Amino acid sequence: MSNDVVVSARNMTKRFGNTLVFKDVSLDVHKSEVVAIVGPSGAGKSTFIRCINRLHPFDEGTLELLGHRLTGGKAKVPRAVLQDIHTRVGMVFQTFNLFPHLTVIENIMLAPMEVKKMPRAEARERAMALLEMVGLPHKRDIYPKRLSGGEQQRVAICRALAMEPEIMLFDEPTSMLDPELVGEVLGAIQRLAREGMTMLLVTHEMAFAKEVADTVVIMADHEIAEMGPACEVLESPKTERAQQFLSRVLKPEQAADDFVAARTASQGGDR
Amino acid sequence: MHVALHYLGVYGVGALKDIALTIVSTILSIILGVLAAAGRLYGPKALQIAIAWYVEIIRGLPAILQLFIIYFGFDQIGIHFSPLMAALIWLVAYGVGYAVEIFRAGLMDVAQGQREASAALGLSPSTTMRKIVFPQALVAMLPPLTSFVVLQLKNTTLLYLVGFADVMYEARLGVDATNQAGPLYVMAAVVYLIISLVIGRIGMRMERRAAAYR
Repeated sequence: MSNDVVVSARNMTKRFGNTLVFKDVSLDVHKSEVVAIVGPSGAGKSTFIRCINRLHPFDEGTLELLGHRLTGGKAKVPRAVLQDIHTRVGMVFQTFNLFPHLTVIENIMLAPMEVKKMPRAEARERAMALLEMVGLPHKRDIYPKRLSGGEQQRVAICRALAMEPEIMLFDEPTSMLDPELVGEVLGAIQRLAREGMTMLLVTHEMAFAKEVADTVVIMADHEIAEMGPACEVLESPKTERAQQFLSRVLKPEQAADDFVAARTASQGGDR
Repeated sequence: MHVALHYLGVYGVGALKDIALTIVSTILSIILGVLAAAGRLYGPKALQIAIAWYVEIIRGLPAILQLFIIYFGFDQIGIHFSPLMAALIWLVAYGVGYAVEIFRAGLMDVAQGQREASAALGLSPSTTMRKIVFPQALVAMLPPLTSFVVLQLKNTTLLYLVGFADVMYEARLGVDATNQAGPLYVMAAVVYLIISLVIGRIGMRMERRAAAYR
């Protein structure tokens, strides 16, 4: 982690129509920093990282990344700027979103060939190197449908890395996976972190966030509840909202008991 | 030799005309239909509305009425089309109305996540359409497209009404001349059935190839 700020969000606010998604989000990400964004569903985490590579526009605030300055509102971002951002920021989705009509290796080769005009042979060689890295070279010629979720997600990581991005965004990369497949995907992400990739990661894997992230951001109720060094935030959160969230995810049995107790109490009241 | 068999030759010529007309009108309908579907989905509001109305009108008016308006109606205001020209204009005008809906449904069938993944990789909208969306949409579009081609083939039978000499036209003439309605119409039916079976086969084969990844 260095002092160069590569992503700087200032007071970003996003609405879908009249529904507030998140408000006043300000966040700096330094080169090689790993930022994990955690929090309850519906807090706006996913939408926030989608705003960073401008898959969604945002309404207010500013976003500086990779030398571009984007402002909220209706103003259109020039095509060239958008293209530059998309080329230099990689994204991995919760639902993998591999291209089903292309084989594994074609999925990885497509963008370098189409966007960077890389010769086919070179693109193939690089794709193979990436597949080796995630342990899937033998799957190169099959269609995504035939892969397990964990394999699909590892291919999706390769596909994003093939563009040699400077920043990687992960939108709940393991939420759709069976528990026993989560490890293989987290392993690939951890490896990237060690190699110094700048990353923003939305996740529900608290233990992983603690281990791999430098900074943890807790988003709740459409805003940042707390952020700071990973261990500090996850072990001794200061704000009440953050404590509430963490106690629920870290002690699920306790939360279940509370839930049952609350229900029984309210039903008892009805009768 | 049965009198109906004398008509084999003219049936053959008529069938070739039907096939040619079906192929040409299908190709033109598909090209214009793709453009119109893109306009309907991604074009400016006014264009979207215009195309939506066009579809409603084509779908809502009886086919034969459309043909008569083009052939007889335009004649009244001094624009005279030959039977072939009227046939082609009508089949394409009619075909585009249906093709738009087939393509629109196919394009909408492709998951939004595909477009997002493509955009996130830096692929341009046109490359996304060409390399990602269209190949997947095709799988959903091929079955209705096959039915559409068969429909166009069957529509050609209406053209005898404006004097276009296809199989149906020859059958009518033959029946008038020989009073052999049964054999002559059954022969015509066999001709249309064979052509539509071939179209169905081709469609199935294309479908299998396009859906190989599923």
